[in-house]
Amino acid sequence: MAERVAICAVAQTKFRPDRGDASEGEMAYEAIRHVLEETGLTLSDIDSAVSCSQDFWDGRTISNMNIQPFVGAHLGHEDKVAEDGINAVYCGMAQVLSGYHEIVLVVAHTKESQAEKSLVENAAFDPIFMRELGLDFLSAAALQARRYMYKYGITAEQCAKVVVKNRGNARNNPFAQEPLDITVDDVLASRILASPIRKLDTKPISDGACAAILASEKKARKLTEKPVWILGVSSCYEAHYLGDRDLADCAALTKAAQKAYKMAGIRRPFNEISVAEISEEYSYQELLWMEGLGFCGRGEAGRLIDSGKTQMGGKLPVNPSGGMLSGNPTGVAGMVRVAEAALQLRGEAGNRQVRGANLALAHGMTGICGQHQAVMILGTN
Amino acid sequence: MAKKSSQEGEKKPEYITVKIDVPRKYRWSTGKYIGRTYREAHENKKIVANRCVKCKEVLWPPMQVCGRCKVEAGEDWVELSQTGTVMQYTYLVYPLWDPHYGEKFANPYANAMILLDDGVYIRHFLEETDVNKLKVGMRVEAVWRGDGERGEGMADVKYFRTIDE
Amino acid sequence: MPNRVAIVGIGQTRHKSTRRDVTLPEMVNEAVRAALADAELTMKDIEAVFTSNMETFEGIYLPDHGAATEIGAYMKPGFKVCTGGTSGASVVVEGFCMVASGLYDVVMVLGFEKQDCGETTAAITAAATPIWGKGAVTGAIGEFAKQALSYMETSGAKEEHAAMVRLKADRGACKNEYAHLKLGLESAEQVLNSGYLVWPLRMLDFCPQSSGACALVLAEEKKARSISRKPVWIADVEVVHQEPFRAGTFADPTGKEAYTQHVACERLYKRNGITNPRRDIDMAEIYEPSNWEEMSLYEHFHFCERNQGWKLVEQGVTEMDGDFPVNPSGGVIATNPIGATPTIRVAEAALQIRGDAGAHQVAKDVKTSLASALGGPNWTVLTLLKRSL
Repeated sequence: MAERVAICAVAQTKFRPDRGDASEGEMAYEAIRHVLEETGLTLSDIDSAVSCSQDFWDGRTISNMNIQPFVGAHLGHEDKVAEDGINAVYCGMAQVLSGYHEIVLVVAHTKESQAEKSLVENAAFDPIFMRELGLDFLSAAALQARRYMYKYGITAEQCAKVVVKNRGNARNNPFAQEPLDITVDDVLASRILASPIRKLDTKPISDGACAAILASEKKARKLTEKPVWILGVSSCYEAHYLGDRDLADCAALTKAAQKAYKMAGIRRPFNEISVAEISEEYSYQELLWMEGLGFCGRGEAGRLIDSGKTQMGGKLPVNPSGGMLSGNPTGVAGMVRVAEAALQLRGEAGNRQVRGANLALAHGMTGICGQHQAVMILGTN
Repeated sequence: MAKKSSQEGEKKPEYITVKIDVPRKYRWSTGKYIGRTYREAHENKKIVANRCVKCKEVLWPPMQVCGRCKVEAGEDWVELSQTGTVMQYTYLVYPLWDPHYGEKFANPYANAMILLDDGVYIRHFLEETDVNKLKVGMRVEAVWRGDGERGEGMADVKYFRTIDE
Repeated sequence: MPNRVAIVGIGQTRHKSTRRDVTLPEMVNEAVRAALADAELTMKDIEAVFTSNMETFEGIYLPDHGAATEIGAYMKPGFKVCTGGTSGASVVVEGFCMVASGLYDVVMVLGFEKQDCGETTAAITAAATPIWGKGAVTGAIGEFAKQALSYMETSGAKEEHAAMVRLKADRGACKNEYAHLKLGLESAEQVLNSGYLVWPLRMLDFCPQSSGACALVLAEEKKARSISRKPVWIADVEVVHQEPFRAGTFADPTGKEAYTQHVACERLYKRNGITNPRRDIDMAEIYEPSNWEEMSLYEHFHFCERNQGWKLVEQGVTEMDGDFPVNPSGGVIATNPIGATPTIRVAEAALQIRGDAGAHQVAKDVKTSLASALGGPNWTVLTLLKRSL
């Protein structure tokens, strides 16, 4: 049984709105090639591959067949996790921690440009009651945003500040798809998509992949001088029917975070964590998820973003990478958060580096209003 | 489980089902390698693939990474023969849905594993629909769709026609 | 040292072709409840839930989300795996890793599929690469038809042997309260007279489309011993995928390529000191979508020499009261809710060790059993179970 699991290398493709130039596998390989080069490994050295993709997005049953040759799966172990990519990292981690494998390649890939987003997302709603309402994740998120803002008095301006911060942070991130230099007024002037969500409260369609090499402590020390340790991790499901949830709350995230913190020995997250990468598909989500993560009390995230503490240079910078809003594909976003957190801890985050980062949080979510939440704590010690 | 109707004894209860019929469109990228095969088929009625730099096998479908060697296969492109031998075949009797066209295929039709003369195996349809005329070892050649009808990769080859050799 | 992992709870639904009386989540819930009842636990005792399902069969994106409450995952961790036909065993492997690693002590793994919701073969055909694979519109059936042809040619097996395998499966299924197709077949003629689907596969040569679910509760050693008087130990697992054969999908007529079944069992047997599978293992529940494939699998798994699989059938070796029973449950050819099928193989292999398989319990004492899964372009997952480690 491995004592600890380390992330030895991470890579991302530059996220783009349309990677018509590459097949799913070719796109995934761009990221895979980097992590192999960095660790000096070849595909033949990989014990196991865990990929993350969705049949519905890829338009292919058994979507991992798209990337089989690219992960070296021939006569080897290969698995596919069908949740947000952060869960694929978790799956790989269990394979290493159990002693079953020593070196695991994890890759998440999605080409949102290939499918019709609303139709894919609509298929997530239960077919008997909710599907025929024509909901997709945007309209469901609008319901959540409205409920959250109503219950706690979160304002549209506060949500807009998330966009301004993250799109602005993205200017420092060479992988970010769409950095923007905008103001709160710009966000509030963008057209309404599903009230209260405006165009600039959402992320652009994005294609891309993210890869990582995980290894046992023993192997990790041979593969990299800067192993990033996975110190804590957990996930949690919410109820499915929107009416069964208090949408102003994110009970699943609160629970997942508590378990991850406990595992990592974190008592006061806002004080102890150096940098946080959160999956915010819609602007209000960064606020709501921060509450779930315990960065502040319930309903206080508006004040938190007002305080500036989550800006670059603030007490706990959130999404120095630009986050999901700057353009990450669904399913890959959570793994990108892990990759960005790892880069921060390795001191390799370039212009978006948070100085002295030694404890990072990565968050991923899947499904309707984040029905499935996952949190991972990474550290240098 | 099934509830018995109290009035009519063994009458089966009618369950309500929700039918959802939604076409879901996709736009797949052929990428660099399969894209080249598509282009050659579309423009030049040629079947091309790349040969792995390590194992020297022709990869079908063409691929950036040779799955067996686990290395980048390289860009040694070769044109494949368009005649071959049927190694194995089967024919459809029971109509099955095609998820790409949303139609049921008429039956019967033959689907064969064809060994092209240069050693590459290709799975494709046969023109011959009389099952009594199908046999392993029969010689076939590719029949292309007309100009203006191509653009769908290997589907540009309508089927393989039996030839006398 | 990794934790030892045991199966302490087993539950299945009664598999049928259509379950119009329940929604998908309700159907899965039946298996979950059955597994909990078997383990004498409640959902409170389960720390995480891992699921397997092929969403294209039901047309439901994120089916584990839609059924979150019914699978008991509400406010619990977990995720869904989806690797095609082997999903149901991949989820057992992932659950095994989760418990072996110490991340959890007690988890539930479950596979489910409600094939009546969609068009099975269309969904399988959609596994062919959309860009160039349209020549494979015959779904899995067509590929198994070619496998049958290959096997007939290389081994000399006759249709009569395939019919015997089908009869064996039906006998088992008729004794298995959970099995789907219980036909009461009496003669080989019935099999040989069933109409062709994709030549040469006949209706009765191939598995049905079933709706059903199967759940297992896995626990680490200490908990396992306190939960169950008869924990079934997962001694080892092996997952092997492959590039598709150049000349086929489930059989390689060129005879030049390696089979994942072969590679997987060589590795598994070596690690576990199995030198004579029919002596060192007591029975097997293998994933055989067709009767021809079953005979082929006997050879791949070293239950007999190459091209001799049909002889085992002739000699009755793999019957329920035979020397080396294979698929006393009726196997996949009687029951196939795809996302659950591999989980059912593990469940059935475990029931045999516990002596809890009821009317389809094999005659001999089972201390070690092997469960296999098959999927995608001939991928294999093996699970080795033992009564004691």
